[in-house]
Amino acid sequence: MWAGLEAEEYDRKYKDKYLVNRIVSYFRPYRREMSIVIFFLTLSAFTYAAIPIIISIAVTNLAINREPIFLVLIIISIFSLNFLAWIFNYFRQRFTAMVVGDIVLDLRRDANKAVLNHDLSFFDRNPIGKIVSRMNTDSRDFGQTVDLTMQVISSFFIMAILLIVMCFINLFLAMIFMISIPLFFIVALLFRKIARHKTLLGQRALASVNAYVKESFSGIQIAKTFRQESKLYEKFNEVNNQSYNVNLRKGYVLFTIFPVLSVIMGVLLTLIVYFGGIYVSGGQISVGELYLFLQSLQMLFFPLLVIAAFWPQLQAGLAASERIFALIDTPPAVIQNNDIKPEKFKGKIEFRNLTFQYEDQKGVFDNFSLTIQPGESLAIVGHTGAGKSSLAKLLARFYEFQGGDILIDGKSIRDFDLSEYRKQIGIIPQIPFLWSGTIKSNISYGFNNATRDDINEALNQTGGYGWVEELSKGLITKVGERGNLLSMGQRQLVVFARTLLENPSILILDEATASVDPFTETRIQDALEKTIKGRTSIIIAHRLWTVRHVDRIIVLDHGKIVEQGNHDELMAKGGKYAELYNTYFRHQSLEYIEKMKEKKLA
Amino acid sequence: MDNSKKNPQISKKNRTSINQTVEFSPEIDRFIKARQQGTRQWILAHLFHKSNKYFIFIVLMTTILSANLSSASLVVLGMTISELMEGNDSNLIFYVIIILILGVSAPILRLFNFLVRETLAQRLERDVRKEFFTNLLGKSQSFHDKQKIGEVMARATDDVRMLNFMVSPALSLIIESFTSLIIPLIYIALFFPPQLLLAPLIFIILFLFALRSYIRKITPVTGILRFSFGRMNATLTETLNGIEVVKSSTQELAEMKKYVDKAMNYRNAYIKQGHIQAKYLPLLFFALSVTLGLTHAIYLYYQGVLNIGQIIAYVGLVSLLRFPTFISIFVFAIIRLAVTGAQRLLDFMNQETEIDENLEGIEKIIEGNIKFENVSFSYSKRSKPILKNLSFEVKAGQTIAIVGTTGSGKTTLTKLISRLYDVDEGKILVDNLDIRNYALESLRSQISYIEQDVFLFSTSVFENITFGRTSSMDDVEMVAKEAQAHGFISKLPNGYYSEVGERGVQLSGGERQRIAIARAFLSDPRILILDDSTSAIDSATEDKIQKAIRNILKNRTTILITHRLSQIRWADLIIVLKRGEIVAKGTHEELLKTSEEYRKIFVKKFDVDLDYLLKKCEEEL
Repeated sequence: MWAGLEAEEYDRKYKDKYLVNRIVSYFRPYRREMSIVIFFLTLSAFTYAAIPIIISIAVTNLAINREPIFLVLIIISIFSLNFLAWIFNYFRQRFTAMVVGDIVLDLRRDANKAVLNHDLSFFDRNPIGKIVSRMNTDSRDFGQTVDLTMQVISSFFIMAILLIVMCFINLFLAMIFMISIPLFFIVALLFRKIARHKTLLGQRALASVNAYVKESFSGIQIAKTFRQESKLYEKFNEVNNQSYNVNLRKGYVLFTIFPVLSVIMGVLLTLIVYFGGIYVSGGQISVGELYLFLQSLQMLFFPLLVIAAFWPQLQAGLAASERIFALIDTPPAVIQNNDIKPEKFKGKIEFRNLTFQYEDQKGVFDNFSLTIQPGESLAIVGHTGAGKSSLAKLLARFYEFQGGDILIDGKSIRDFDLSEYRKQIGIIPQIPFLWSGTIKSNISYGFNNATRDDINEALNQTGGYGWVEELSKGLITKVGERGNLLSMGQRQLVVFARTLLENPSILILDEATASVDPFTETRIQDALEKTIKGRTSIIIAHRLWTVRHVDRIIVLDHGKIVEQGNHDELMAKGGKYAELYNTYFRHQSLEYIEKMKEKKLA
Repeated sequence: MDNSKKNPQISKKNRTSINQTVEFSPEIDRFIKARQQGTRQWILAHLFHKSNKYFIFIVLMTTILSANLSSASLVVLGMTISELMEGNDSNLIFYVIIILILGVSAPILRLFNFLVRETLAQRLERDVRKEFFTNLLGKSQSFHDKQKIGEVMARATDDVRMLNFMVSPALSLIIESFTSLIIPLIYIALFFPPQLLLAPLIFIILFLFALRSYIRKITPVTGILRFSFGRMNATLTETLNGIEVVKSSTQELAEMKKYVDKAMNYRNAYIKQGHIQAKYLPLLFFALSVTLGLTHAIYLYYQGVLNIGQIIAYVGLVSLLRFPTFISIFVFAIIRLAVTGAQRLLDFMNQETEIDENLEGIEKIIEGNIKFENVSFSYSKRSKPILKNLSFEVKAGQTIAIVGTTGSGKTTLTKLISRLYDVDEGKILVDNLDIRNYALESLRSQISYIEQDVFLFSTSVFENITFGRTSSMDDVEMVAKEAQAHGFISKLPNGYYSEVGERGVQLSGGERQRIAIARAFLSDPRILILDDSTSAIDSATEDKIQKAIRNILKNRTTILITHRLSQIRWADLIIVLKRGEIVAKGTHEELLKTSEEYRKIFVKKFDVDLDYLLKKCEEEL
């Protein structure tokens, strides 16, 4: 419940007043429903409070008044009050559920919209799991809090009405009542502190059991191969017993609170009976009125228990709403100056005096300039951290640059309508991502009206349909979560096909470094060859074949171009590129493969 | 766990005496029978296991006792009021003291009850988890291959925890509900005219019927609610994982609609649940029963049978029924969850592992000759065959490379050799003897498998290398050198004692592979299966990996599933698999001549022609 409480980067502290206003604004569209809820809530509170009062009047008058009409009247009114209370409560709950359901939906919709509008730097900073839990779990908790708040308010109403009546009957007895209320809260809050600590420990212990189970069964094959199950078993017993001990202690603490609160109530009951008894025998109050006090004790105890038990949850609900608002309010970083809807790009790209850095980090580019001609294929090579992928990500508008400009066909990319712009840029990431659907649905992602022929055509262009036919169900083979039922290479072929269907003017390709089986590798080469034909292509190259086939290679080092030219020219030059070749491409050459045998014999 | 070092022997003895299909069982498994009898029997067996039954007995007794105290307190209250009505307050102090004693001792008794209950719940959780873990350790590898790790984890933590909740609070709440239904009735029967039982009895009957119908209505809705929450999570997670794709294909709106649709389903289920909860009839029945009881009591008062104090006490006793009315909903939900959880646990634990151990099997040191004779295999009777009619032979000490795309059956083929699965047709011979004639232990201990994603335990490098065989530091260093791992290990912050894995040093795929090779060196298997799909982006790493693999395949039969052209180029035998069939077989030179597809790999990749490649081969000779 309290795990992972550390503040996140997009957290902000709202003033309570602002927070309340913000919450209220979500209720505003449901004014009508809310007034119904409040109406029934008030009614049901009054009826619930009236019942013990009527019974008390009945008890008081039983001895004196023996009129049958009086009796019938009492019975009928108690009966109808009970019935009405249930009906009122029914409507209250029904409408509350509707309002809460709608508000939670609104919150989720707003949060989803805000999140999808963020640029990628937002996702770099915030783990996806946390965003998901904010949007779904926090909003649910918030909804529960609203529901709970309704119940608490209704209990408060009942208590307040009863207390007023009690004050009229006997101020002293009513005072005893009121003194006990803060006592309940003090005890509950004190408990919370200890409980919180113990719960945290308990969760940690359980988490370590969880982690150990994960580790054991991830490595089960090794344990089995080496017949070392007992090693795992012993360690498991250790963590499992530890979790037992810690969680047992947690349970002991958590479950002490209710008996302690009950003791307070027992003492309270005794006091009421004692003083009430004295007042009754002194004739200050009637037995019926004493009964009202005793009944109220029962009614008081219940809401107090609810409040005491759910106090942390109430606070958690407020905190949850704060977290969602923080998520909604984080401003997106992409700057858009104009919304020109571009014609089909010719594909001339110009980086002009570009300056860029990731937030709070060292600069990636400082005054970087590069021009790429329409239809040119360009490979970028360099060590890790040279700025290769930053260049591609800036062009895709996944991040915002700080200085200089990027121009396409002579216009700044900030002037284009973002979605129209992105439609003309095809991106093939290093680790291909597939949606858990079929191969077909993945290729046609974003093109709902693509026909089967279009898809086949796209696949054909990527160098063949053959590999899909080899799969058990062809095009409608399920690819699994993130595409993990396909190999890396196959996933890449799917992404190639998707990109071809999109037919972008500019292609950005981050070549995979993962190893791919030789047959698929050959197909990827075919696909690459066809895809870069006729469009401006920027390739972050890791494959020897690629650097040998592009029009121009630029060698990037610390955000600067240190060399450029084609493979043969640069190799002949014997400079930085030749050095990189030795580091990254040598082992991919035929010479290397042929040479292996000699080493083997040696 | 002092005797744990003797475990291998113990486990072997147990295997023959108790359950022959279990690969590991450290102590006698007491729940085998209960597991097979069914979920309820299994839960009960755990509840009444050893001292647990005394715990349950204590919980039962203390609950009954504390329910008695509450009821007695009301009776005393009634007496007090009756006497006050008669103007007699001489006993007031006496009654007040009794009420105080009862009012304070009930919670103390309850506290005791809670503590016992909590202990039982935690014990149950611990023991069930241990049973589950041990049981899974005993399952064969073929079982584990089929499980997703997330599923196993969910069961080992959440489902086991449900059994804890079943005891604390559900079990004690059931007992409590039950006693709060019965005890007030007994008190009414004892201290009041018996006809006053009418109202509470009517209530109990109505309550049970209404509760049943309520549970029937709410169960599917809560199911839908949970399901739609899961879907909402899954959809959102996928969208955010693929955010780059969403943005580059400008599908933000479509993705948002997908999410909102799911959120809308959740909303609808939530509202429906709210409607059903609002209609919870037992609360109405309860209120009406109190009214009926009161009417009845007043009627009896007019008859002169009751006094006012008794009326108050009676109404108080009937009001005690409020507790079970409220709490029943939760209790049933928790019990249901626990039973479902237990079912999920048993699903796993009761799965038979299909190895057919040959107890009279031969134990011997093998040479390493492997022969496949018309082998066919499918994972289940109904599914398509994965391997079709395979035949080939690997001589002892040779290296064979298996090439093919994903789904061609490469991995399955290797799993058949160590009998993780048994062939459907044909046979596999090792040293000219059908592998089914070997003792499983003897066969498997001579075959090592280095998988594609090498798994390292989060302990030190040293412990990872010596996982299969306790060895001295000198030996470890020696094998690490052979595996080309010594270099990077000595550069780690604590050398061989550096922690690896999730909490420790992050190692690259190539480094992990070399640690696994070192591990294999120590265990020195006759047959090595190496799924070598590790990528090396720089040439220096590639050099090291090549060297390590070259060292390990000396003097043993090696089956390589590889993407490395150099390994393929120099293997003694290359097998090209496609949809479970061998489409080409031979040496590099032979395949260049016979296989179009194979030729294309080299011709295309290096822009050379066939003649050039063949010339290269001849140069070697």
